[in-house]
Amino acid sequence: MVQYSYFPGCNLKTNAKGFEETAIAVSKKLEAELVEMPSWNCCGTVHTLTSDNIMKRIAPIRVLSRSRKHVETLKESPNQVVTLCSMCNSTLKIVNNEVKKDQEILDKINYQLEEDEETYETDMEVKHFLEILRDIVGYEKISEKVVNPLEGLKISPYYGCMLLHPEEAKIDDEEMPDVLESLVESLGAELVMSPLFKFCCGSYHIVDQEDIVSSQVEKIVEAAKRRGANALVVACPLCAYNIDQQQKAMARNSVGKSPIPVFYFTQLMAIAMGEPVKINYFNDHFINPEPLLKELGLIGRKKAK
Amino acid sequence: MSYEYLKFGKEEKDFIAKIEEISGQNIYSCYQCGKCSAGCVFSDKMDITVNQLIHLIQLGQKEKVLKANTQWVCSSCLTCSVRCPREIDVAALMEAVREYSLREDYEKVIISEISKEALDKLPNIALVSNFRKKTG
Repeated sequence: MVQYSYFPGCNLKTNAKGFEETAIAVSKKLEAELVEMPSWNCCGTVHTLTSDNIMKRIAPIRVLSRSRKHVETLKESPNQVVTLCSMCNSTLKIVNNEVKKDQEILDKINYQLEEDEETYETDMEVKHFLEILRDIVGYEKISEKVVNPLEGLKISPYYGCMLLHPEEAKIDDEEMPDVLESLVESLGAELVMSPLFKFCCGSYHIVDQEDIVSSQVEKIVEAAKRRGANALVVACPLCAYNIDQQQKAMARNSVGKSPIPVFYFTQLMAIAMGEPVKINYFNDHFINPEPLLKELGLIGRKKAK
Repeated sequence: MSYEYLKFGKEEKDFIAKIEEISGQNIYSCYQCGKCSAGCVFSDKMDITVNQLIHLIQLGQKEKVLKANTQWVCSSCLTCSVRCPREIDVAALMEAVREYSLREDYEKVIISEISKEALDKLPNIALVSNFRKKTG
């Protein structure tokens, strides 16, 4: 059993609890256990694109430094910090890359970290859980653990921006990714390809320019539905929130539009691997996926027996 | 056909230098191919497109640049940056224009004006990223 130092990030403790709990459950089953690092802080969610703002780079480095200490306490752990949220993944990777190339920035940040008796020596790698699943665990092993193939689910992968951009942080080819596709197929679900797989959902504009998000979400969902999808799979809590919540709002405004549920990839894995339904926290979803899963006989069968 | 005469003096050059300093990009690398605007998923919501904004920066037209909504519609999805044939980090230029305003005592989002219900409802990831991009 390999253990990984796992950095949750802010949202996995609030409205994406289902993402975290299912991920931890399946990680144990796949013998690549995610162990939460102690005393973590927010990574900042978005990487600063400025060249001169060092302050905004301190938080991610602090995470890396603390994760480095955490690795020491784990079993067979490589020097890697694993994230589930794609925004954390991108922020941590970009800053890690920057300080590896620029000693001057690293020195300035370490000077700040000294106050807390911390230091970072650029000896960590940032990995997204999808990378661990693809490169270390392998899809074959995932298929072996499937006890409840997701037959009937027609899933369209939605990557969002931060899994594939920028060059330093991408987990797969930016124009033709296949990591979510292969995962969906290894779980026994039908794959539906949508051309809008990385069409930005509007991200943080949800706070002050909701109209932008709603127009983006409408296009993303329509493109997937037109090709026959009955669910979307995502890896980002903000994409999930935007697509889920906006669909609900749109369904309220115009009659006849049928919303489709949004899953985190780990939720699909948990269902396929026969984990208890309650760790999915489907109550937190705006579009509850349970009716669809029940209709397809993917959950609730055991009780009937 | 009408022409507009543009001033190109110290003020304009200072603006260009500042944008280049914040973004770390060479603004004159851009040869106006328009690939950024063509691939931008928000182009339809911008009053001037991304390459037009870059052109205005190249000309040092500070007022026109800061008046545009382009930089505030950009959500840093970085599609333009990964596709630019001149390897310009286009999103960093958008960030530099935002930062230019924010560093001059301007707030795009005024936190105290957001309703309590909205703050309760929105996920923290949205709030943190929004405030990091739109407040000084």
